[in-house]
Amino acid sequence: MIEFDKFTLDNGLKVIVHKDATTPLAAVNILYNIGAKDENPEQTGFAHLFEHLMFGGSINIPNYDEPLQQVGGDNNAWTSNDVTNYYLTVPKENLETGFWLESDRMLSLAFTQKSLDVQKAVVIEEFKQHYFNQPYGDVWLNLRPLAYKEHPYQWSTIGKCIEHIENAQLQDVKDFFFHHYAPNNAVLVVTGNVETDEVRRLAEKWFGPIERRDIAARNLPSEPKQTEFRSLHLERDVPYDAIYMAFHMGSRNDQDFYKVDLLSDILSNGQSSRIFQRLIKEKNLFSTIDAYLTGDFEPGLFVISGKLTEGVSMEDAEKAIWEVLDEVSATKAEEYELQKVKNKVESSLVFSEISFLNKAMNIAQHEITGQAEDINLEVEKYNKVSTDDLQEMAQKILIKENCSTLYYHAKKQ
Amino acid sequence: MEKLNRNLPPQFKTIEHVDIPKSKQDVLSNEIPIHIISGGSQEVLKIEMIFNAGLWYQKSPLIAGTCNSMLNEGTEKYSAAELAEKFDFYGAYIVYNNSQHDASVCLYTLNKYLDETLDLLEEIIKHPTFPEKEFKTILSNKKQNYLVNREKTNALAKEKFNSLIYGDKHPYANIFEANAFDKVQLEDIKTYYKDRYTADNCRIILSGKMDESVLSKIENRFGASAWNTKSSHTEAKHEFLCSDERKVFVLKKDAVQSSIRIGRPLFNKTHPDFAGIMLLNLILGGYFGSRLMQNIREDKGYTYGINSLLLSHLKSGHFAIVTEVGTDVCEAAISEIYKEIKRLREERVPEEELSLVKNFFSGEMLRNFDSPFALSESLRGNLPFGFDNSYYETFLQKIKETSSQKIMELANTYFKEEDLYEVVVGENKA
Repeated sequence: MIEFDKFTLDNGLKVIVHKDATTPLAAVNILYNIGAKDENPEQTGFAHLFEHLMFGGSINIPNYDEPLQQVGGDNNAWTSNDVTNYYLTVPKENLETGFWLESDRMLSLAFTQKSLDVQKAVVIEEFKQHYFNQPYGDVWLNLRPLAYKEHPYQWSTIGKCIEHIENAQLQDVKDFFFHHYAPNNAVLVVTGNVETDEVRRLAEKWFGPIERRDIAARNLPSEPKQTEFRSLHLERDVPYDAIYMAFHMGSRNDQDFYKVDLLSDILSNGQSSRIFQRLIKEKNLFSTIDAYLTGDFEPGLFVISGKLTEGVSMEDAEKAIWEVLDEVSATKAEEYELQKVKNKVESSLVFSEISFLNKAMNIAQHEITGQAEDINLEVEKYNKVSTDDLQEMAQKILIKENCSTLYYHAKKQ
Repeated sequence: MEKLNRNLPPQFKTIEHVDIPKSKQDVLSNEIPIHIISGGSQEVLKIEMIFNAGLWYQKSPLIAGTCNSMLNEGTEKYSAAELAEKFDFYGAYIVYNNSQHDASVCLYTLNKYLDETLDLLEEIIKHPTFPEKEFKTILSNKKQNYLVNREKTNALAKEKFNSLIYGDKHPYANIFEANAFDKVQLEDIKTYYKDRYTADNCRIILSGKMDESVLSKIENRFGASAWNTKSSHTEAKHEFLCSDERKVFVLKKDAVQSSIRIGRPLFNKTHPDFAGIMLLNLILGGYFGSRLMQNIREDKGYTYGINSLLLSHLKSGHFAIVTEVGTDVCEAAISEIYKEIKRLREERVPEEELSLVKNFFSGEMLRNFDSPFALSESLRGNLPFGFDNSYYETFLQKIKETSSQKIMELANTYFKEEDLYEVVVGENKA
């Protein structure tokens, strides 16, 4: 049970405070309700590029990092298709420095040409490092547009292509900021060795004066139901063949999410899971293989990805995956097996609550998709899932006409 | 209400003291040392059993690692599948670490299932059977992972760099070819287990939330009687062999970035200059505000990231700058790296920068020691050197006392350009 206090400032900023007295530190986490899905299809990668620019100096503070390091703090950020999350940790005595820095960059950025030019170059190197200079690095650049034809999940947070990053202009950056970054489009979570009264005082002092902004209404195209099997063959200079299968499913907020999550756990969470035991241990068809959910805020994907054992044909490998999937549709799982994955979920939640920073991020995610209180209902929601539910989800989701398969062939030497 | 001045930073406190909770040392009846770190907010425990069974002692490649990762692939009582089933059912995690000198098996468990998971831990430590079938699968999968990894420029750069500073044959470089996977014999794995996974070659670190009963449960399973005894352990000797070659280029066709490693062999954390070097390394490339990051990423945009690191091995150590840069800017990046090192040799670090780095480091100490599991991680790194986490109490003091004059002296002693090794892996030489 995670206890917290919650209040909203007049400008719409939601603030949540969770005290963890076992640490000498405090975390400040700000989640903005803006992600890659909000981008113009001709200007992709912008939300993520923008995250970099948030470190390029704000209206009153020329350098973000230095004053934070000066007080013993550290920080980072990440962007997903749904949101952008900024976090820092400081010794608890220096909490106010975090408020000062975060509120100023919510107020306005410095918007310098130099910062934009440099960060475009940095992000292009990031693009190359993660997507082109790694074996199998470009999988998601190809799998997303195969699975999504209309919805903006068809591009990755890094963007569709390097040209989109190169083309970003300073005016675009300013527009983006004032349309998406605002107190009424964010959640502030403070955790660690902190008191709610003090956080309230600091929040009102530093964030209170920032005015509300008009947030562009989100009006995303929905993805039409997939009705037939899709496939794509790629040939690349990699040592082994690989296969990637993506199935459409509901959103993170959907009640079915918990059923599908446990279904994926039965298939692939831990060494005792079906896919690991059958396809790696018994049949030796794959050197690695996983099933997992993207967990997106809008209808997401159930993904299976595996690297084939040398000498195994793509047909045999694919057939073996379908056998495991068909079995989970045709036959109800044992109660024992369901209990096992429920235990694992409960355990991973307990372990994830060791870190006060982790808790801050999790609380913020729950608040932005629904309400923070839901964080304490997770175990209960998982516990309600039945073996019938698992079978029903498998029959609904793990079927051929709902599947997009990327066949990733190793180039013959 | 007074007007808010957003230009001025709020008052802050400098961290004068970092409270590092002490570990308690005890011994089980059979003399296995056990280090105990009690605390935390969650009802969880971490039990790490550490053996002197790392790469240092293996006669040929892959023995130590394969032995370590096969412990849960079947025991006298359970098959590999049954073990996996049980660990998963109790929501426990078992993690294998295989490093240069030691190898460990680490159990993360909920307190409420401690009895059950400790029984399993006892099985895999005392009674593994190393089945042939699992052996073949594991090696074949390891080989594939190895070959995928060799497609990465940074993996190739790391390997080449380590071979230059330690020598091809040294365990700190740990270099082998793909065919080494075909040469591993199951008998060698079994022998390695018998020789090294013994009660008199073991220590335990226990951390997390606990009462007295936890220790007695461990005592019952691992301390009460002698197990896997062996009268003597064969010692191993390895000579360092630094290369005469200082600059090496490795071709990786079609790479869109080049991986760069620049550095040198150095002492480990027992050396009197270690605190000073740590500070010097931080300033150069050890945090986001470092000179390399500010110059090469934040000013030039040549890379997504650049870092420098210090690594302490039991018998040596090294310093390395690590980055991946666009092929077209590789030469310029290398020249900027040398420029930054030269600046440290020739100019004193300004007092503001020095004080900032010291303050940042104090914060890092707080982060690094925040939770019993983090403390146990740090303790694990210290024990082979013969000290516990109290090492860091004097360390912080030494950091605070280091002057800009001292830093310049250290740079002149240890960061001479002619002492550095340089490896570039990429499409062309730049």
